[in-house]
Amino acid sequence: MMVTILEIERFAIHDGPGIRTVVFLQGCPLRCSWCSNPESQQQKTQLLYLENRCTACGNCFNVCPHGAIRWEEGRPVFNRLQCVGCQTCSASCLQNAIRFAGKQMSVAAIMDVVRRDKEYYQTSGGGVTFSGGEAFMQADALIALLENCRAEGLHTAVETCGHVPPQQIRRALPWVDLFLFDIKHTDKTKLKQFTGADMDLILRNLHYIASHSPEKIILRTPVIPSFNNDISFMQSLFDLALETGIQTVHLLPYHTLGTDKYRQMGLAYPYPHITPLTKEDLLSYKQIGEERGIKNIHI
Amino acid sequence: MARFNVEHTQNVEVSKKFPCEKSPDRQLEVMEQYTAVHCSCTGMPKELREIACLRVLYPALFRSIMSNDRIAGRIDFLPIGFGSVTSEGGVGHYCVFKKLAAFRDKLEAADRKRVDVLYDYWLDHDVKTLFNKDILTDDTIGMFIDCEYPMIATARLSGMMLDYPKLLGKGIGGLRREIEKGLLEQPGNSFYEAGLACLDLFVACATHLQQDALQQMKTADDKRRKELQTIYDGLENIKEDRPETFHEALQLIWLYALLAGVINYGRLDDYLGPYLAADLETGRLTDEEAYSYVHSLWTLIENRRTTVNGRVIVGGKGRKHPKEADVFLHYAMRVARNCRYVEPQFTLRFDKDTSEEIWDAALDALGAGATYPTLYNDDVNVPAVAFGMRIDEQTAEQYVPFGCTEFVIQGQSTGTPNICINLLKLLTIFMNEGIDPVDGKYKAGKASVKKPEEYHSFEDFYNGYKALLDHYLDLSVETQYYSYQLMNKEVGFLFNSLLTDDCIARGKTLLDGGVRYLGGTNETYGNINTSDSLWVIKDLVFERKKYTLRQLHDAMLADFVGYDALRKDCLSCDKYGNDLDTADGMANDLYEFVAKGVRDRGIRIGMQYFLIVISNNQLNTEWGNRTAASPDGRLSGMYMNPANNPQGGANVSGPTALLNSLTTFDPRYHGGSVQNIKFTPAMFNENRALIKQLFHTYFNKGGCHLMVTVVDKGVLEDAMQHPENYPDLIVRVSGFSAVFVDLSPNIQEELLSRVLYDGDHP
Repeated sequence: MMVTILEIERFAIHDGPGIRTVVFLQGCPLRCSWCSNPESQQQKTQLLYLENRCTACGNCFNVCPHGAIRWEEGRPVFNRLQCVGCQTCSASCLQNAIRFAGKQMSVAAIMDVVRRDKEYYQTSGGGVTFSGGEAFMQADALIALLENCRAEGLHTAVETCGHVPPQQIRRALPWVDLFLFDIKHTDKTKLKQFTGADMDLILRNLHYIASHSPEKIILRTPVIPSFNNDISFMQSLFDLALETGIQTVHLLPYHTLGTDKYRQMGLAYPYPHITPLTKEDLLSYKQIGEERGIKNIHI
Repeated sequence: MARFNVEHTQNVEVSKKFPCEKSPDRQLEVMEQYTAVHCSCTGMPKELREIACLRVLYPALFRSIMSNDRIAGRIDFLPIGFGSVTSEGGVGHYCVFKKLAAFRDKLEAADRKRVDVLYDYWLDHDVKTLFNKDILTDDTIGMFIDCEYPMIATARLSGMMLDYPKLLGKGIGGLRREIEKGLLEQPGNSFYEAGLACLDLFVACATHLQQDALQQMKTADDKRRKELQTIYDGLENIKEDRPETFHEALQLIWLYALLAGVINYGRLDDYLGPYLAADLETGRLTDEEAYSYVHSLWTLIENRRTTVNGRVIVGGKGRKHPKEADVFLHYAMRVARNCRYVEPQFTLRFDKDTSEEIWDAALDALGAGATYPTLYNDDVNVPAVAFGMRIDEQTAEQYVPFGCTEFVIQGQSTGTPNICINLLKLLTIFMNEGIDPVDGKYKAGKASVKKPEEYHSFEDFYNGYKALLDHYLDLSVETQYYSYQLMNKEVGFLFNSLLTDDCIARGKTLLDGGVRYLGGTNETYGNINTSDSLWVIKDLVFERKKYTLRQLHDAMLADFVGYDALRKDCLSCDKYGNDLDTADGMANDLYEFVAKGVRDRGIRIGMQYFLIVISNNQLNTEWGNRTAASPDGRLSGMYMNPANNPQGGANVSGPTALLNSLTTFDPRYHGGSVQNIKFTPAMFNENRALIKQLFHTYFNKGGCHLMVTVVDKGVLEDAMQHPENYPDLIVRVSGFSAVFVDLSPNIQEELLSRVLYDGDHP
């Protein structure tokens, strides 16, 4: 079975316990306007153009077999709708100014990579994390990967936005040791407006998992200025954790490291330019959460 | 005989030595005297000639005790003298012509003529020059360090680690009695006679230093006067008796090491630990004083400035006094962390039983940017050394790394690397029908080489290259062996021999049949560039058939100018360091061929062992500067990969992948292999538990060694621009540490190219 992945990151230490390998699956149902991995949103291979490397040699324009590159004002202009991701242009680019995000890999090939760090997982209490995009967008592949990991005794984590069909969560549950479950907001309208998500669906999935194994869940919240960087949201987040019996919450400070990628994809950064947050900015939330009785709050 | 320049730089010298304390007049006088004695002793047994010459040098060349020295003993070196290694003076009866010429230039005209006489005399007597005359060729073997050649050779006795436990256990008196006993059995044995004279010389030097201490006491304050009195008393006690205190033990081994010209110190924790622990126990030393002694030792070692030596080893299997040794170990750890000197090369041997406390202390020192300790895994190395050197495991437990990583058995073996081979230069020569593209000279010797078109399969090509390697490996073992024969003809290395098994028992100096295990090492360079290049040829030329070998070769000759697309394809091929069976498999195949080829030849010629070392100093850069463009996409003149590590920037799959690649090679076939990894301080210090697990896993998987640099890339870049702000920024070059701003810009660039692991996602 083939999977479209963005990349495989080894020695990942931020997405679950211990030393891990994170497999980033392509495709996401949400469109969070601060998203730092816009190239992971569609399941299709994405062309990224690194203009600062380009010497305007014209190779890409000359070799594209699909007429997806125009030459305007001494620069290539990419018609991404017409691009089929054949990568002829990037192969011809001597400056490595074109790269493609998203590639097909078989489950077996992914397992071959994952397996190579098995000893590191065992020593450190680590394992494999499936992230995205949204890992459940390729649910069959995800479950196949999870089953394979379980068969090999590897700890599994899935990072999910929760905006996925409930039956897929039910299918996956027995194979998942840990969910990194994103809660971006608790205000339905705001969530819809900024991400396109249906909060009821997300909460339904969260409650389902929590009703079975609350210890399998870490709530994760990207703290975004002008969206959820306020005490009332944090209080409601902690309420949710307490109500569902979830003991661990991760708060991730907003960063702008992904802004370049929008430019590389020919898109405008959809979120207003705001100064990134630091870990220190979130310390007061951590304190509030701890006072409310949440055991582990990580920043 | 090949033409060679006797004034060529003979060794890597990054750390600058102290200027000589003696006046130029006095220096010239000593050199003349030395030369006269050397000349007048022609025809005498080499041992007697050696001690006669040593008497000219010592105690004359001792420097005065410095105000912060807790033990006595500093030495100056002149351009003419006696030594074991090139980093302190020279080898045997030596003349460093370049330094002698520089010395001459500072003199008045009349005195210059006196120097000219010496210069001419030593052209025919300097041990290394004698070796060079016999061995160097115009096209295959160059001298240390002449980067025009694919192989370079020298005569030296590097990395001796003496049997200090024996010296401490017997004292000078005990050693004297042992020799006297030998002399009774073999009357007239020159080694014994000269050996006794060596001990007399030791005593004379102790007396000389006592006089200095007495002199200094006159003007010292109370505190210093007491310290000088202790120095005076200690020197008196060790002239005959076994040392009783930590101070005396330190003084004894230090003075002996100076006279032996030995610059590596072995398992200090195990043999000094009991003295230190006893002094602390009885209250003879306070914690502060103990620290001060270890600190003083560190300073004395640093001040010898050998650049790539000064090994101090702690921890590991086979220690006789592990509990007391750990007392020393913890002081050493604190000193190493606080001093941040480039020497000693502080080395931690460990195994599965090493305590978490020791690990934490080690990681603290590394996290503070000390680059020390450098880590050696006994669970892997002990059995590997036993196999590689053909000795039992108990003996192998006494392995110690010296210099850039080469292993010897303390007090029992020689392991000097007198040969270096540049595998990549040989590949570029092989592909160019035997002609080095750098200078157009034919350098394939007797090996047969064909045109690129004549190779019809990868195996055919690879076998041809292996045949060229075979030719050089033959030369390497013959040359190494000859270096021992020639040195043995000229000198006995008396002080070394007295503390090396089984010289006294056999009545022979170490290269005369005295040393128990006559070993040696062969430094290989460009290993990974070569295997990555072979992979490119296999993949791109013979499997995918995207280019012909001729096309690839033409591109290399053009330094890839006009071949951008081809070079991109070369760079895109799999590279070692990413945990890929393809590139790592090729690296292993080449490793096995070279390592086994060298080892087998050593056994055949009659050595106990001759092993490759995949170490590195700055030679990967300097030799790379004189090596043509290579199929891995490396440009002409670019640095080569450091030691066993990937080419800078080629490892793009994270630290676990790198570490997995590093464990590819069977450690039984090398005599030391260096692995580097670099982290930012944030990554290393904020994720300490995970870093520790990362290291533990690597070592459990068979990692033999690791050296760790913790540094911010921005800091290195800034240090290149503003060196004045970074006088003590230490970096690990590979086989040694150095102050970053002391390195030349091209070496700094090589260091910057190495992948730095940070915690943030790209």
